[in-house]
Amino acid sequence: MPTINFSLKDLQLLIRKKASIEELRELLTYCKAELDDYDKTTDEVSVSLADTNQPYLWSVEGIARLLKGVLGKEKGIPKLKINKSSYKLIVDSSIKEVRPYIAAFVAKGKKISDYLLKQIIQLQEKLSENYGQRRQKLAIGVYPLSKIKFPIYYKAILPDSISFVPLDFKKEMTPQEILEEHPKGQEYSYILKDYKKYPILIDSEKNVLSFPPVINSAETGKIEEDEQELFFEATGTDLNTVLLAANIFAQALYDRGFTIYSVAINYKNKRILTPKPFNENIKIKKQDVENILGLKLKDFEIKTLLEKARYKFQNYKVLIPDYRQDIMHPVDVIEDIAIMYGYSNIKDSPLKTYTPGNTFDIVKFRNKARQLIIGQGFQEIFSPILSNKNLLYTKMNTKDFGTIEVKEYMSETYSCVRTWLIPILMDVLAKNKHISYPQKIFEQGLVTVKKFDKITDFERLAALIASDKADYTRARQSIDALFRALGIGYEIEETEHSSFIKGRVGRVIVNGKKVAFVGEISPKVLENFALLVPVAGFELNLTELFEAIKNK
Amino acid sequence: MNIKALIAKLHLLERQVLPVLDRFSYLSDIARATGLKEVQVMRALQWLQNKKIITLTSEIKEFIELDINGKKYLKDGLPERRLLNALKKGELTIKQATDKAKLTKEELNICLGILRQKAAIFITKNKELVIKLLDQGKKLLEKETIEERFLKKEFPVGIESLKPEEKLAFENLRKRKKILKINKKKIKKCQLTELGKQILESGIEITDIMDRLTPEMLKTGKWREKKFRPYDIAVNVPAIYPGKLQHYRAFLDEVRQKFLSLGFTEMTGPIVETDFWDMDVLYMPQFHSARDIHQAYYIKDPEYGKLDEKLINRVKQAHENGFNTGSKGWQYKFDVKRTHRLLLRTQGTACSARMLASKDLKIPGKYFGINRCFRYDVIDATHLPDFTQIEGIVVEEGLNLRHLFGLLKLIAKEFADAEEVKIVPGYFPFTEPSAELFAKHPELGWIELGGAGIFRPEVTKPLGVNVPVIAWGLGIDRIAMFKLGIKDIRKLYSHDLEFLRKSKLP
Repeated sequence: MPTINFSLKDLQLLIRKKASIEELRELLTYCKAELDDYDKTTDEVSVSLADTNQPYLWSVEGIARLLKGVLGKEKGIPKLKINKSSYKLIVDSSIKEVRPYIAAFVAKGKKISDYLLKQIIQLQEKLSENYGQRRQKLAIGVYPLSKIKFPIYYKAILPDSISFVPLDFKKEMTPQEILEEHPKGQEYSYILKDYKKYPILIDSEKNVLSFPPVINSAETGKIEEDEQELFFEATGTDLNTVLLAANIFAQALYDRGFTIYSVAINYKNKRILTPKPFNENIKIKKQDVENILGLKLKDFEIKTLLEKARYKFQNYKVLIPDYRQDIMHPVDVIEDIAIMYGYSNIKDSPLKTYTPGNTFDIVKFRNKARQLIIGQGFQEIFSPILSNKNLLYTKMNTKDFGTIEVKEYMSETYSCVRTWLIPILMDVLAKNKHISYPQKIFEQGLVTVKKFDKITDFERLAALIASDKADYTRARQSIDALFRALGIGYEIEETEHSSFIKGRVGRVIVNGKKVAFVGEISPKVLENFALLVPVAGFELNLTELFEAIKNK
Repeated sequence: MNIKALIAKLHLLERQVLPVLDRFSYLSDIARATGLKEVQVMRALQWLQNKKIITLTSEIKEFIELDINGKKYLKDGLPERRLLNALKKGELTIKQATDKAKLTKEELNICLGILRQKAAIFITKNKELVIKLLDQGKKLLEKETIEERFLKKEFPVGIESLKPEEKLAFENLRKRKKILKINKKKIKKCQLTELGKQILESGIEITDIMDRLTPEMLKTGKWREKKFRPYDIAVNVPAIYPGKLQHYRAFLDEVRQKFLSLGFTEMTGPIVETDFWDMDVLYMPQFHSARDIHQAYYIKDPEYGKLDEKLINRVKQAHENGFNTGSKGWQYKFDVKRTHRLLLRTQGTACSARMLASKDLKIPGKYFGINRCFRYDVIDATHLPDFTQIEGIVVEEGLNLRHLFGLLKLIAKEFADAEEVKIVPGYFPFTEPSAELFAKHPELGWIELGGAGIFRPEVTKPLGVNVPVIAWGLGIDRIAMFKLGIKDIRKLYSHDLEFLRKSKLP
């Protein structure tokens, strides 16, 4: 979810309304945006935008454009005049394998203030990082036009066949060296790791403009304040994406009063002028509007609402502004009708049909077991499901019996899914040594066990008694009372389990199915948890138990 | 307070202790006087203090106790006594006397000094030194000395309680080696208050009151002859911690009950999901940032799961070109291998997707799920890598946005007690239109409760569902925090037993 900053005053000028911060908060809902912060001293507004598929809104110009529609200051598709020019960019076929697409334009006629420069860099970064997937799909460069000699060449070169001074550095470096030594090179080297040749933008005098998508040249790729003419380019792996980026940027600068000039992009077999209008339209049906929104709107109402949202409406053919590529289906347009109508103006309606509610039998079963165990005086515990192998096995003096581990984790404590519950309860006892005994605790919840690549979730119930009187008898009495109340008969057989004391651990069997362990925790394990009190208890597989009694 | 009523409430121990308090004020003295154990006296004194019948103070007091020699002399007799006894049958040389009386050289010197001072013996020189008893000495033989009497006292003895004669003996013995020692002790002293004095004056019955009803009394009918002592019913009692539901779990139980009563059926899904059910079916493009390895927990082994390939193909088309939905799709090449990747469920919506694809789906139908979800995240007061989500869907011909809004308002009211509710536009890749639900919190202002929308046709149609589906998800952890008055999300899954024992249930 991108967050952008801008000056409130700037927005007020752009929308031609002195909206208060409270009005802005309200207006931002039309942009699916939220006001995070407003700093009175700097007049800076901080806004986060929910829609990851509408990047045009990640700039104050984009927000202002939509709000002008909302406020009725403008309607329909915004104006964007693109002037023809002789600027030429030649795409070499060598780039095809690496980063095939580029779009570019020139903007002139306004002084770049410090604030405006920050806004340009902000939009450039948000588009490249968020929409461009960390520059992989899209990366944008902006340059002072005065330093560039057209035509510009876009091609792929060998990593050490050229050198230039990159931004933030003083010495000349090859692209290879940049990837190894420059912080930006290290950050984005992952994009180029599978390629033998790297993209380069170079002008007709062999001055390097940039090494996309990594870094601009310090010579030709740095904009100073008061610059009046800009060259813009977007490179990437998807044609529509680079075209969209150029359209969004061109519209934003046009809104600011710049004059926009196209650049002719010469591919091997075709030539396109960018910014290139998509001229897309989509047909919607009146009936769908009514069906989806539950609103009976008249044609002119739909037209008005869509014009507010900056579409053009021609008898249910909806023209989409060129800075948008998020319209995939008529529902996307219909949502905009609802937004412009105002969610708060839509009257709610109750559901029409009654349906009987129900839950799983295992839910009822596990709740019964929980109630019974609480009746025995146990405090319920509710823990994270994520755990770690040290707790589950090492401290429990036992071996891994099929754990789901995650590839990357932030904290080792939460690096796998728990496979049984007793270790979790042991951990609780270990954390509460200062609390009065006896301590009787239980947890009922899911564990996940992997057996030959078959992954199964089980509902389990484990209970532990920590007290100087805790022993096998007490643990057994507890599970015995539970089974009696559930009306389940069981057998118990000797078993071995290295977490328990040998000869004091039993396996509970119901209708031939092994459903539980019951016993005294081994002193070795108690030592691992630094516990100075005997512990006894049981762990019951409720899923298996439920299966065992259901089938009978 | 009515003195009679107060007296009636007195415990047997209090009744036994109170009558001696006009004479004794120290714990040990009271114990001796009443024949009770000191702990019993202490309990009674504390109760009496609570009733303002006495005041309890503690003071530092010096106590005399027997030291090593003192204990020895108590058993064997003081050295001077032993010497006197040795001389009973006539004079002896110093050596003979020392041996007979079993004296050390030091003891000999001391007792010679004492006895000579009392004119009890006479020493002459006749080759050797010879000791013989004088008349005073013979008298001493028959009489106990004040020092001897002092040693027989019951120690420890408070210094200030000594009588003048004892004081002299104490001073004498104190000078001698390791007979007495003095310890400082903190002791409780009680004093009757005015109220206490009045009570004593009005007299207290010690018997005839019933402290505990016993089976014996019931059997014999003796209870009829006794009075029930009224208890101090406002007194604090020690806390007990019985078995109890965990507070958050209890809240989730309530939430489940509510959904059931609203006609919803429960749904769930596996903790370990595939990319397919967790995201692809939900029309989240494979390049979506939520699918980064640092957003979701991908599984180490096995890396891939099994899926219905026919279904994959429909979802693949939805992503690539919109399938039969009238959508242009995301327009990228869908990676079939990648959709099999295993991860820990990141959103409860995965369960909704499974429900929509299930043979058990009923139309019309309402479903909800209370499920644990996992996201690669920092752990702090508002984030956990492991959290609970509540999701729901309603599947029915003719549903529209107005029904969704109606349901959201109902949910806000039922689950968050929210009277004031706000629904604003939102964004989720799987719903269009989308909405976010806010409720007004009395202190914190507008709080986001969850998100909702109508499932996109790109989600429902590949699953074979051709009627509208409204869907919503609640950040139930946050709602629970408000309801339970908890500020730190970690407290919802707390391992602090003291907190759990004391936590209130919803």
